[in-house]
Amino acid sequence: MQVLEVSTRKRLQVEILPLESSDYKTITKKRYYFNWKEEKDYEVYKLQLIDSKEILGIVSIERIPEEWRIHIRLLTVSAENKGKEKIYDHIIGNLITHTAKIAIKEYAELACVSLKPKSKIAQHYIDKYGMNITGATLSIELNEILNLIESYDHD
Amino acid sequence: MTKEKKIANTEFGVDSRYSSKATKKIGGKDLMESRLERMKDLTPDQILRAKLIQLKLRMADYLLKPIYKKHNYFTEFLSNYIDAIYDKRNKFAEDVNISPVKLSQIINNHREPQEEFFLRLMVHSELTFKNICKFDKSCWYQVYFHEKICDTISSQDKWRPNVEKNVKTRHLISV
Repeated sequence: MQVLEVSTRKRLQVEILPLESSDYKTITKKRYYFNWKEEKDYEVYKLQLIDSKEILGIVSIERIPEEWRIHIRLLTVSAENKGKEKIYDHIIGNLITHTAKIAIKEYAELACVSLKPKSKIAQHYIDKYGMNITGATLSIELNEILNLIESYDHD
Repeated sequence: MTKEKKIANTEFGVDSRYSSKATKKIGGKDLMESRLERMKDLTPDQILRAKLIQLKLRMADYLLKPIYKKHNYFTEFLSNYIDAIYDKRNKFAEDVNISPVKLSQIINNHREPQEEFFLRLMVHSELTFKNICKFDKSCWYQVYFHEKICDTISSQDKWRPNVEKNVKTRHLISV
């Protein structure tokens, strides 16, 4: 997987790994927007640069096997990668793709990844990642998952 | 705020946690209804892609960690691969030019796969995955030997006493 360094347009290799307990000391609310300690009982993954090990984004997920679904609970980039001044792009796309790969690994053609963002940003996720909307829930299913894997997964 | 600025600011964080079990249940139920409708539009090609990507990810996962559990992973992956593509296993046997009996014995762990089988399987999977996703054809070999290593290590209690009787060391380095 790769992120794009906005200033140079260079692609850099990243890895997505389970968050380690020692990481909780460094992922502060100020830099990563949420109190991640609240997610300790869930699966939490960090996206980091392979070279520097700097954490650029984090996602926590919940598996819902009876619905062949993985629900994204929290999703963020680090403060430096927010908005127009961001250093790296494609962090969120990579984290969603990683979640989609877990879903497809578990549920194959039945796979689904869901998200329940605040209404004002829902449209952004629909436009950018082709998400479907059902009530307040956004989802990507096989068709969208295959597209995401094709765009973001270079492994 | 302009539309552009609005969008640029959206991609930093989403708190998507359900406020209660009831909300989660209702959300899931509604979503399932819509999904079942959309699933009707899936094409056989998409389903095949999903099954093969699933297989690739499961094989990669297996290779990442040692699993000291008696389980036939290689033949499980092999049968998943064949069943994803063919309605009858005999057709795969025909396509890789081996007898259906031999294939059945391999799948049912009554015969060890030989090099010739691995080579044909590697070429077959390379061609199959070509337009789907990257696939390291050597992972069939890797899975097979990974399983052998894990089996050997996990059954040390059984083979070690006899083996130790036949092994001496010279203690060339004093402690």
